[in-house]
Amino acid sequence: MSHQHQNTGRKNSHPANLARRRFLQTIGAGGLAGGIVNWPDLMALKAEELRKKGMACIILWMQGAPSQFETFSPKPGHENGGETKAISTAASGIQISENLPQVARVMDRLCVIRSMSSKEGSHPRATFLMHTGYVPTASVKYPEIGAHIAQQLGDSASELPSFVRIGRSRINAKGGFLGVDYNPYVVDRAGGIPDNAEPATSTKRYRRRLALLDSLETHYAEHGGKQEVAKHRKLYRKSSQMVMSPKMSAFDLSQEPEHIRKQYGDSQFGADCLLARRLVEAGVPAIEISVGNWDTHFDNFSRTSDLCGQIDQPFAALIRDLETRGMLDKTLVVWTGEFGRTPRVNGRGGRDHYPRAYNAVLAGGGVQGGQVIGKTDASGESIEDRPVGVSDFLRTICHSLKIDADIEHMSGIGRPIRVVDGGEPVMEAFG
Amino acid sequence: MRGKWLFGGIVGGAVASLALAAGDSVLSAAENNAPQKTTRRVDSQLRTEFQDASVKVAPPADDATYLRRVWLDLVGQPPAPKAILAFVHDTAANKRRRLVDTLLADERFGNNWAQYWTDVIFYRRSEERALIGARAATEYLATRFNDNDSWRDIAASFVTAEGDVREDGATAVIMAQAGRPEETVSELTRIFNGIQIQCAQCHDHPTDRWKREQFHHLAAFFPRVAVRPSRMGPQRTFLVVANNFPAFRRPNANNRFAGTLEHNMPDLNAPSAPGELMQPVFFVTGEKVKIGTDDAFRRGKLARWMTSDKNPWFANAFVNRVWSELVGEGFYEPVDDIGPDRECSSAATLAILADSFVASNYNVKNLYRTIMATEVYGRASGPRRTPIETPFAANCSQPLRDGQLYTSLFHALGLPDPATAAGRPGAGFRRQRGPRVLFKNVFGFDPSQRRDEVGGSIPQALTLMNSSQINRAIASREGTVSQLMHNTDDDREAITNLYLRVLARRPSKREIETCLAYRAESPSRLEAFQDMFWSLINTAEFKYRR
Repeated sequence: MSHQHQNTGRKNSHPANLARRRFLQTIGAGGLAGGIVNWPDLMALKAEELRKKGMACIILWMQGAPSQFETFSPKPGHENGGETKAISTAASGIQISENLPQVARVMDRLCVIRSMSSKEGSHPRATFLMHTGYVPTASVKYPEIGAHIAQQLGDSASELPSFVRIGRSRINAKGGFLGVDYNPYVVDRAGGIPDNAEPATSTKRYRRRLALLDSLETHYAEHGGKQEVAKHRKLYRKSSQMVMSPKMSAFDLSQEPEHIRKQYGDSQFGADCLLARRLVEAGVPAIEISVGNWDTHFDNFSRTSDLCGQIDQPFAALIRDLETRGMLDKTLVVWTGEFGRTPRVNGRGGRDHYPRAYNAVLAGGGVQGGQVIGKTDASGESIEDRPVGVSDFLRTICHSLKIDADIEHMSGIGRPIRVVDGGEPVMEAFG
Repeated sequence: MRGKWLFGGIVGGAVASLALAAGDSVLSAAENNAPQKTTRRVDSQLRTEFQDASVKVAPPADDATYLRRVWLDLVGQPPAPKAILAFVHDTAANKRRRLVDTLLADERFGNNWAQYWTDVIFYRRSEERALIGARAATEYLATRFNDNDSWRDIAASFVTAEGDVREDGATAVIMAQAGRPEETVSELTRIFNGIQIQCAQCHDHPTDRWKREQFHHLAAFFPRVAVRPSRMGPQRTFLVVANNFPAFRRPNANNRFAGTLEHNMPDLNAPSAPGELMQPVFFVTGEKVKIGTDDAFRRGKLARWMTSDKNPWFANAFVNRVWSELVGEGFYEPVDDIGPDRECSSAATLAILADSFVASNYNVKNLYRTIMATEVYGRASGPRRTPIETPFAANCSQPLRDGQLYTSLFHALGLPDPATAAGRPGAGFRRQRGPRVLFKNVFGFDPSQRRDEVGGSIPQALTLMNSSQINRAIASREGTVSQLMHNTDDDREAITNLYLRVLARRPSKREIETCLAYRAESPSRLEAFQDMFWSLINTAEFKYRR
């Protein structure tokens, strides 16, 4: 692949360009000329396009539940705060833990919510809740937020999947009742082109095989399998388009200039964040990266410090890189885990599960940086100001991305389910 | 091992087991006749319905299609080329019935359907770690299906189970819901009675007759059950235990009911209040036990009532699922949402089958025999009907379940299945990286889902097209393509054999021409046949049972 090609690819695949082009295509040839689209329709169409143009979301999922005290809510003056010190940040008056010195320098772009609160203290249930807004039940398969984003913002004509998960994760909600089209495309780790996404033979032979396959589908289509074959042909067209798409080079980090890669650092999480940015550029609206394990029942302080060391530089680099490219306004970055950790340090130097008060971070996507929302008391045990529940949190994400949290989808058994049930977006986050 | 499962089963369904033992010999005398009689009644009932609507029914399926269908339906894999030729050339009038009997006696029958039910249970798991119990569930069910145990006993054992989830497969439903009373009873009624009462958990359901109280009366059968981690043995596992003394239980974050001996219905206006104490009452029949009775008694009663002849939904739910898998469309869809307020597409037919199923004391193999001998089962497959068309005028194509597809793939490749015991589902939930489990992650679906809603996914297409393992296996010297090349120089013969092996039928004339033309354009004979093989395993036809 030539250098030139890479450049062209980037320019064309910029979300805003894509949206504009798509818009023109949609109304272009047939629409106005054929008189099918009248003026109000056209405005509605335009509003629809504008609403969705290029919004994207990167979720940094801290699997295992990070300690709030050792990340964004240090309590150095209180015994519950343990040995963790607080440091000043780029946002005057806001201090975060010493474990995140580089993140501190982009604090003016971040909004910390220190009053997250839920009732679920078990990893699988809380993970499910934070992703879907619902507790798991056997009867309804709730989709996770990434699937909703893909469903509302994704372009069905895109050659790339609209929801990509990077890293093995414990969340199994996926597309739920929205269907397999909205399941995440899972990449175990960032690096090269993912497994099975390249032809096993030469491109020439792959194309020959595809042509043969298409003609051999005919028999079944003519013997009772018309619908099945039609669906199947569509699936293979889409899948092979993806395999052959030049946009797949978004997965190949070796195409990224050395100095940018350096900014993200050497850790796997750094590579994952870089991939996330490349995917947003390529038009993927929903990306989730998992990193862990933050479940520090013992040796909380050294283990959390190590984990912070893995995420500090990449997290900061991601924010800066998105901003430099003018993408931060349209890209919401979410940092959170499934709950928080106990204010009191246990006998093994660890902290246990604590859903009553924890923290999360938002950046970009219209979020006003350099602010803290909510407050816990001196001990960190209870929330003093502005509690934010899981539904509130998910509604805030929807608000940022301009997606509708009140759309009702039919569950498998014909029960209408909203994207988010109840709650209010945290409007202060948007300044 | 086997002794252990039987032990679990007998303990589990004690009451029902004893009842069956007495009726067993009576049953076998009637066994030969009853299915055929029922089949004829089903055929004539459906024919009446077709006449009423002047429907054009599909012709009988040809032998090869029928053979592949029966193999996939009963033993979960396609027939070998030799079996296809033998069946097609067999002139015996009763060869279709004989085929069904033979495959019902095959051990793979139990395994195939055990996988189906394991999926029914575990696709609704509330936590990933529940999969620890999946393997035991499959093995347990396989044994019971192969032994042709009464469905009543099998179902009852899931209600009353206790023990190590790695050892006793009957614990599966409770394990899959981590022992939470509300979720467990919801699943038991959904799976064994086809009723979705859990909608009434929070409010009276607008389109159902079940009230919120009735749901919580049902949950009141389960407050004393718990799922507990155990690290006593060599492997980490979980135990399903019953506790009748509060001192043994502590509340925890996973189960707000733990630590109580009775079930309380939460007060929606005061969520932190204890709520109203509920007596265990079975909503279908209104039968009840007293507050304070011990766990074994409660669950024993519930097991009996849920599976009783007086509860029509027990037989209906099973017949509906088996019919749906075999004919391609359920009487009710989705298959797990039946009950008095749902519309049945042919109530008279379902009643004939369900009555005969009850009369046979829930004889599973008899039910298969009955349905598979019907005209509709033997018809050519057609597209799914539109809602206004009369049902059951054709058999309906079904996407293969992951187990069927996996076995079909290795059968086509002509290679032994590389999945070792370690790679089987449930072998260890954090180390599930064996080929079989990876395959399931990509191709699996919840069998309670309507089949026309089970879509193919991009990762599925990518796997079958590009997986290096599959492409290596195609090129393998021991594999089907190399063997074909070695066995004959005649391209037509090789193409025919390829079709028999992969799609279990002969190619049409046009397909032979297409393949010959492809052969002529290809750089080499070997490459041409590898490409044909690749194309055939990537067709929709390969992934469907017609």
